[in-house]
Amino acid sequence: MIARLGLRWRIGLIVLVALIGGVATLLAVGAATTGFAAVAALPTPQRLVALATLMDGAPFAERALIAEAASSRAFEVRVEPGPIATGPDSPFSRAEQALLDAYRAALGDRALAVVLQQTSRLGRRLPFVSALNEVDLRIGLRDGAALVVSLRNPVMLSRSGLPIAVSAGVAGIAIALVALVLINREFAPVASLARAVDRLDPDDEADALRSIPARAPEIRALVEAFTRLQQRVRTLNHARMALLAGVQHDVRSFATRLRLRVEHIADPDQRDRAANDIAHMIALLDDALISSRAGAGELDLEMVDLAAFVAGELEDRRAAGDAVALAAAQGAQDLTVLADVLAVRRIIENVVGNALKYGRRATVSLHAESAFVTLVVDDEGPGIPAPQRALVLEPFTRLEASRSRSTGGAGLGLAVALSLARAHGGDIRIEDAPQGGARVLVSLPRFRQRP
Amino acid sequence: MSAETPDILIVDDDPDIRTLVAAFLEREGLSVAQAGDAAEMDAALARGAPDLIVLDLMLPGEDGLSICRRLRAAGGPPILMLTAKSDEVDRIVGLEVGADDYLAKPFAPRELLARIRAVLRRWREPAAPARSRRIVFDRFVLDLDARLLADAAGRAIPLTSGEFDLLSLFLERPRRVLSRDQILDRLHGRGAEPFDRSVDMLVSRLRRKLGDAEAGAALITTVRNNGYLLTVAVRAAP
Repeated sequence: MIARLGLRWRIGLIVLVALIGGVATLLAVGAATTGFAAVAALPTPQRLVALATLMDGAPFAERALIAEAASSRAFEVRVEPGPIATGPDSPFSRAEQALLDAYRAALGDRALAVVLQQTSRLGRRLPFVSALNEVDLRIGLRDGAALVVSLRNPVMLSRSGLPIAVSAGVAGIAIALVALVLINREFAPVASLARAVDRLDPDDEADALRSIPARAPEIRALVEAFTRLQQRVRTLNHARMALLAGVQHDVRSFATRLRLRVEHIADPDQRDRAANDIAHMIALLDDALISSRAGAGELDLEMVDLAAFVAGELEDRRAAGDAVALAAAQGAQDLTVLADVLAVRRIIENVVGNALKYGRRATVSLHAESAFVTLVVDDEGPGIPAPQRALVLEPFTRLEASRSRSTGGAGLGLAVALSLARAHGGDIRIEDAPQGGARVLVSLPRFRQRP
Repeated sequence: MSAETPDILIVDDDPDIRTLVAAFLEREGLSVAQAGDAAEMDAALARGAPDLIVLDLMLPGEDGLSICRRLRAAGGPPILMLTAKSDEVDRIVGLEVGADDYLAKPFAPRELLARIRAVLRRWREPAAPARSRRIVFDRFVLDLDARLLADAAGRAIPLTSGEFDLLSLFLERPRRVLSRDQILDRLHGRGAEPFDRSVDMLVSRLRRKLGDAEAGAALITTVRNNGYLLTVAVRAAP
């Protein structure tokens, strides 16, 4: 699940986890420091004693004036009629109890009660809520009235009228969103780089990747590195194709002269054998050339109706005296593939040729599946044991221990056919034919029209 | 020129191949002249027209394709093209360079002789009627000379010159994938901007004018990473 998340989502997730961690820390610290000991405007014991003494000595009418003079937003003083309940207080923390003891010691015989003005236990646990709560200190006066000091944490409001903490949260979320958008912008080029590299044809202009709008130096460097890689691949590719083209041209020129000189061989049997050798040599060269072209993605694709194409190829073989048969195609489905005709011809030649060489007869049929057309070639030979099936698709592998001239070939046929099928997005499998020989299945993707 | 001993001109840059082919053909009763490149060939042609030219595709200087086009434009003798790349035979047959036959190297000498005789025989027969320059595809007809596209009912569909060139390129190579680069080369010549999106725009304009062939099938389809392809068969109008 996490493995499928893009980089931008991962970074977003990290930011989110960090935010949650921060809030949790705040909550923990808040929970540890709540209660009336955390009230910022807590008066000193002497201040309470002074106030009580002042109130005791003042005429009743002046008490309101004194209260007014002593009050502030966080420290409200008033006088209420007594008496003061001095039962055991609600459970206090150690810090609160110490504070209370200090107050009691200073006030001497005066009664003292602490009343937390809060609505629920939950409120006490939440730092932002408990900060809004009031603490009333009720102190007994000599005449039985109660001096009430209401302490409250003044909640600081921002200009918008919201508490500062809420404003900070809103601003933080907005900043985080902007940051996410910016991160997204920074990472977008990475995704487009990946897409461009996928699409990249080594023969394209070298600037294909440079058009990706990357600003960060690391991503720029990545784009540059891929561009250099593309140039190296292109140079290698061109060198390889040039080498192959050169070799191919020269070998063909030599072979042409040789083929013409063969006519001067007096013994007709030797003459035919020599001509055959040259033909095999050229077939090998063609195999190497077309598979390297396919590997370099230089196939010349066109719509090929496999039913008609295979029928034509097999007709040529039958005319040449080979034991090939074409079973009727299953159903009247469209068997069109998008392929290089030369490559398909080479695949059919190699697979059918192999069946004839090792299995005497080749029976060919075509099957349409949903996404693939499968060419099935059965022979009547000994078959290929399951453990060796993958092996025979490797180059230069033949099942007989001796490379006897009677069967000939370098063992490239199936390997070349496999590389050509794969270059078309297809594959080759080997199974057992129902009659006991080997069955080779060549699948090629069916052509699908797209607008 | 005589029917019994046709004059053949071999144009190939490999002197051994020229000599060997010449020796073989002469043993078979043909009269053979040789040339190593385009200049020598022109000199030989100035001395007298042969009945057939055996022309190698890959020559130093002017190459075989260019020579072939030039000779054909001048109404010269039939040409049998030799190539050292077997896959080229299949490729160049599609190109309208005007060679009468193609043969891949290395070839069996008997095969060469048979082809030469076949081309000469065809050449002596009365000329076939000129090929129609009207092409039928799907429900449309494109007239290459009048540069006009018409639908089945004969209504003309106006095309810009870019659209006409693109359509005729598709009709020349039906059912084959044409890359954007190939299309650009053809429409704007070499050196065009390789990332020009004008090809895509031109294709989509052409598609709109052609409409959809049948439900679910597009006349011109897109091949991922490759380019475009005309999906219908094409034939010359009678």
